[in-house]
Amino acid sequence: MVKLFKWLKKYALLIVMLLLLAAPSVTSQYEFYVVQRGVQNAIHVLGLLILIGYSGMLSLGSAALLATGAYTYGILLVKVGLNPWVGAALAVALTTFIGTGLALPAFRLAGPFLVVTTVGFGEIVRILILNMEPITGGAYGLAGFAKLLPSTRWVYYLMVAALFLIAIAVKRIGESRLGLALKSLREDEVAAEVMGVDVRRAKMVSFALSAMLAGLSGVFLANLTGYLSPDSFTAAESASYLLMVVMGGMQSVTGAIVSSIVITSLPEVLRFLSSSRLLVYSLVLLVYLRLNWVRTGKGSLAGLMKTLGFPLGTGRAKDRS
Amino acid sequence: MTAAILLQLVLNGLAMGIIYSLPALGISLIWNASGLFNFAQGDLLTLGGYVMLSLFGKAGLPYIPSFIMTVAVMGIIGYALSQAYFYPMLEHRVNPQIILIGTVAFSVFIRNLVLVIWGTTPQTYKNPFGSSVLQIGELYLMPHVIWIVAIVAVLLITLQYFLRGTMVGTAMRAVAQRPTASYLMGIRNDRMIALTFMLSTAIAAVSGVLISPIIPLTPSMGGIIAVKAMAAVLIGGLGSFSGALLGGVAVGIAETLFAAFVSSTYRDIFIFGVLVLFLLFRPGGIFRASVSEKV
Repeated sequence: MVKLFKWLKKYALLIVMLLLLAAPSVTSQYEFYVVQRGVQNAIHVLGLLILIGYSGMLSLGSAALLATGAYTYGILLVKVGLNPWVGAALAVALTTFIGTGLALPAFRLAGPFLVVTTVGFGEIVRILILNMEPITGGAYGLAGFAKLLPSTRWVYYLMVAALFLIAIAVKRIGESRLGLALKSLREDEVAAEVMGVDVRRAKMVSFALSAMLAGLSGVFLANLTGYLSPDSFTAAESASYLLMVVMGGMQSVTGAIVSSIVITSLPEVLRFLSSSRLLVYSLVLLVYLRLNWVRTGKGSLAGLMKTLGFPLGTGRAKDRS
Repeated sequence: MTAAILLQLVLNGLAMGIIYSLPALGISLIWNASGLFNFAQGDLLTLGGYVMLSLFGKAGLPYIPSFIMTVAVMGIIGYALSQAYFYPMLEHRVNPQIILIGTVAFSVFIRNLVLVIWGTTPQTYKNPFGSSVLQIGELYLMPHVIWIVAIVAVLLITLQYFLRGTMVGTAMRAVAQRPTASYLMGIRNDRMIALTFMLSTAIAAVSGVLISPIIPLTPSMGGIIAVKAMAAVLIGGLGSFSGALLGGVAVGIAETLFAAFVSSTYRDIFIFGVLVLFLLFRPGGIFRASVSEKV
């Protein structure tokens, strides 16, 4: 049993990826769309994992970066008429640039101060999109742009491939010198600086990486839906991305991917709840936070299993890295 | 543009600003007492407004009893929240980031609870202060503007007396300053922190009740008010009583003037722009707060 757990843990990422590759053949068209959205969200959530999980900088404006990526792609294709691939590259580049700019307030601010700044940024972007109608289409939305690849299915495979590479990269970043620097930042900024971590550079890299993934996810979002509206980038959306990171354990790459896909598909499973869906989500999150963190002091799935009384494999590392 | 119109705009901005400054005060009180930042303050305000809608607008109770009942109900909710969620988390020294995420979840929870119970359509009830315009010289004012300012002034004086002049208020401030020392002096920290939550929820509810003549109630109105209240509290100085008040009033007046003279669509951007400038160049706010502590 213990061996099975260990084996599952070791190959969890590969198993998830194989399941995702098999998904188009076993799901109906609508279910497939949900899975696609799940994978697209997972790319964004992996970016947030670096920012929130590794470096401990909470952001509630992540939907705005997603919007930047998606809208830049859409505008470049519809209004400028660029090739989709060039548009995608420019969209990711611009989002990364703007996201790196967000690191500037983070040099001086921490905790709630930083969170409010990101909330403000999110609102600014949403209001700009809503009001710059000639460029963004305003409340009517933006449509009519081409896809990266002609078939939805190929876009999906491209997305899964990107997710796989990103997952490995994020995992390796977590174990690398940079990742350790970010984690030391989360635990104690002053101590990290004393140990020789370049705090500014680390924060900037963290913001840049997470913005880059948000931009990429935005490009894929535009590809999936073919239609962009400011309503999909509200503060509530940012909160649900936060939910995905937290439910994934805040440290684990596979956990983040699984939780993104599960939480994205929950509305379809919980269809009978209709409008009280978010009510249930937030309640689950609250109960999870309250029980899990108070009893075990850990935010991992392992902590939750312990809370619920499931047996666990032995030899679990004690530290939180 | 005469001076009278300018004065009128400033007074309207003042009424709006006071609405912002009450939740801002709640955020400040909670921050002082526990080092937590409550993102749900705006949605507690919404909930208060809707409770009032049920009691006054739907059940038809008189204004003053339903006002008092709303505030009492919200106070009990605040007390329960603290005892069930915030204090246990604080006691176990859970990472403040996690508790912050918890308050975000609370905000989503309350917003959707309101949506499920009361529905999405904007609702309003009869303006209890009368809807005939008052004319004083060249000034044209809605009576609720004067009432809001008066009610809140009385409330703030009472609150200040409670915090400075009574034993319980002193104990609350003691817990905020030195939790361990006050615990050793025989003060029950959990009760004091719960009381702080109760107080700040009740204050937010007052704001929710008073807001109705100005804007109709919608489940999501707490979001934008919360953002303004957070801006107010950071501009004024987190943890400072007068800072929250002044910050709220400044935000209210500034946005009214900006909407009147420059552009009403970019009003919110202007407020956030000012906030970002403040955070970058004077992070402590007008009344300097310590930015890096308690985080």
